Amino acid sequence: MSSEECDSDMEYSDNDCCYADYYNTGNDCDIDQIDPSKIDPEFFIFECLSVEEVERLLNENVELLSSSLQITPSLAKVLLHTHGWAVQDLISKYRSDASLLLVQSRIKPPHPPSNSDGSSSHSSQSSLSSKDSLEEDENQKPCPVCVMLCNVEIFSSLACGHKFCKDCWTMHFEVQIIQGISTGMSCMAQQCDILAPEDFVLTLLNKPNLRDKYQQFVFHDYVKSHPQLRFCPGPNCQVLIHAKEPRAKRAVCTNCKTSFCFKCGMNYHAPTDCSTIKKWLTKCADDSETANYISAHTKDCPRCHICIEKNGGCNHMQCYSCKHEFCWMCLGDWKAHGSEYYECSRYKENPNIAHESVHAQAREALKKYLHYYERWENHSKSLKLEEQTLLTIKTRINQKVMNASGTWIDWQYLLDAAMLLAKCRYSLQYTYPYAYYMEPSSRKELFEYQQAQLEAEIENLSWKVERAETTDRGDLENQMDIAEKRRTTLLKDFLEV
Amino acid sequence: MASLPRRIIKETQRLLQEPVPGISAVPDENNARYFHVIVTGPEGSPFEGGLFKLELFLPEDYPMSAPKVRFITKIYHPNIDRLGRICLDILKDKWSPALQIRTVLLSIQALLSAPNPDDPLANDVAELWRVNEAEAIRNAKEWTRKYAMED
Repeated sequence: MSSEECDSDMEYSDNDCCYADYYNTGNDCDIDQIDPSKIDPEFFIFECLSVEEVERLLNENVELLSSSLQITPSLAKVLLHTHGWAVQDLISKYRSDASLLLVQSRIKPPHPPSNSDGSSSHSSQSSLSSKDSLEEDENQKPCPVCVMLCNVEIFSSLACGHKFCKDCWTMHFEVQIIQGISTGMSCMAQQCDILAPEDFVLTLLNKPNLRDKYQQFVFHDYVKSHPQLRFCPGPNCQVLIHAKEPRAKRAVCTNCKTSFCFKCGMNYHAPTDCSTIKKWLTKCADDSETANYISAHTKDCPRCHICIEKNGGCNHMQCYSCKHEFCWMCLGDWKAHGSEYYECSRYKENPNIAHESVHAQAREALKKYLHYYERWENHSKSLKLEEQTLLTIKTRINQKVMNASGTWIDWQYLLDAAMLLAKCRYSLQYTYPYAYYMEPSSRKELFEYQQAQLEAEIENLSWKVERAETTDRGDLENQMDIAEKRRTTLLKDFLEV
Repeated sequence: MASLPRRIIKETQRLLQEPVPGISAVPDENNARYFHVIVTGPEGSPFEGGLFKLELFLPEDYPMSAPKVRFITKIYHPNIDRLGRICLDILKDKWSPALQIRTVLLSIQALLSAPNPDDPLANDVAELWRVNEAEAIRNAKEWTRKYAMED
């Protein structure tokens, strides 16, 4: 069948190419040709590289630029570093106005150097060295920095022409490198910001440990300036992440397993964006003491008032004492949450707030913040508790398998369910900062509706995972599917790509 | 004690032989890297008529690193804090080894003539300087009279 189609395509292809294209791009394209980013809003291509691999990658860019512009690799590095490693962009800029590019990149001075003396710009300095005029001979002159008489041969300068003796340059670089400065090192003359390229620095720097440090710092700066590269934020991890299309998406280090947002390097935070999550975390750091104080670790059962400490991730609570089922967040009857509408994740803004006093407004603002913070914090705690649940599941599976009730494969689904639960709850946790910063609107209503649905399905899943004693696989897998669908739907609609 | 770099000797000689008008900088008897500085308040500024004592220290890696300078006399100025620390770019990121003690002190004198409340170190002073310059200048004059005109 497929070969026939193929043949007929061939026959008609020279008749009307647009017609043929229409068919090729449309219905009969293979499943693996579908753009995965359209199905999965979290789809992200990245690779984990070693320092050597990244060095090779950077060097390829350097060589490409230096050979196409006929400049030294050292200058190419300065250009690439100051322009975010955009090789093609640099080539076209260089071709249209090389001089402008070099001035903007702090390689060339804006005005051609007139006087070769590094201190020519201010008279007081030259008079300091002119004291030596009597001792001067043709081959010797004082360095403007150390005022020592030096042989002219040991003076050197950058493109700006400010000449200083070798020892002063060396000392200048040493002091800067100790302060952690590398690619930013510039000329010693006052108000001159011409950058010292790598080869200039390395010919003057002798101490092996400082040379190492310099090269390390330079590499670090290059990575920082490269939009497609990021150091793995894991402790003591040497891996670098490379992504051709840098986005605020989840990257996972193959070495230390740290998972983070590629764009900002913080914990992955979809559907919230990088700047919002930063704002939220700062706010939480400022306010957490109050929030901690107000939200206690235990709650009383709404029916029998026995004190309950939450020992699992699930918010669907059942009182040990009176068996009353309620929601941990709102303390309402669990049955009232229903399956359609989970109201408790939504914050009900007081509509008359504009007419209230400043004091009341402040209280309302705190109340609003606490509403979102409690839920954020609660899911974070639930995630930790569910890590323990995962351990319990593992031991339970072990026991079951040992007692010959089911095989390893039969129980595997429960582990998958626990993993999926963690993934879903993680996304749910990060929906709260998003909602907190949303202006009241129909979009916010939609968001909170979807959030509520996700919340409900996650609690269902959590309840089932914690209680899965029998191999009721079908039911659980069904629930997994629903929860994940709710999660991707929310991300598709609200995760800004 | 390590020998003094030629650069410091030269600068010291010149500071003593051709002092800058309104500024005196004398090295300490026991430490040639430590200078006792007196800056006279510039004419036309609220600091006019005052004599301001400062200390200036040349660190080990001078001139690769900036000298450390601090007001000892109390002064009401948006870029100088309660401890006498000075907010001046050339003492920080804009330092260049080509600058000297002389140029640093000249810049400090210029800072007295032209306070910059938009880049403040002493926040309360800078705030007043912005919203009520007349009152700020009155305060500065009073502090000058009180702390910089004794004996």
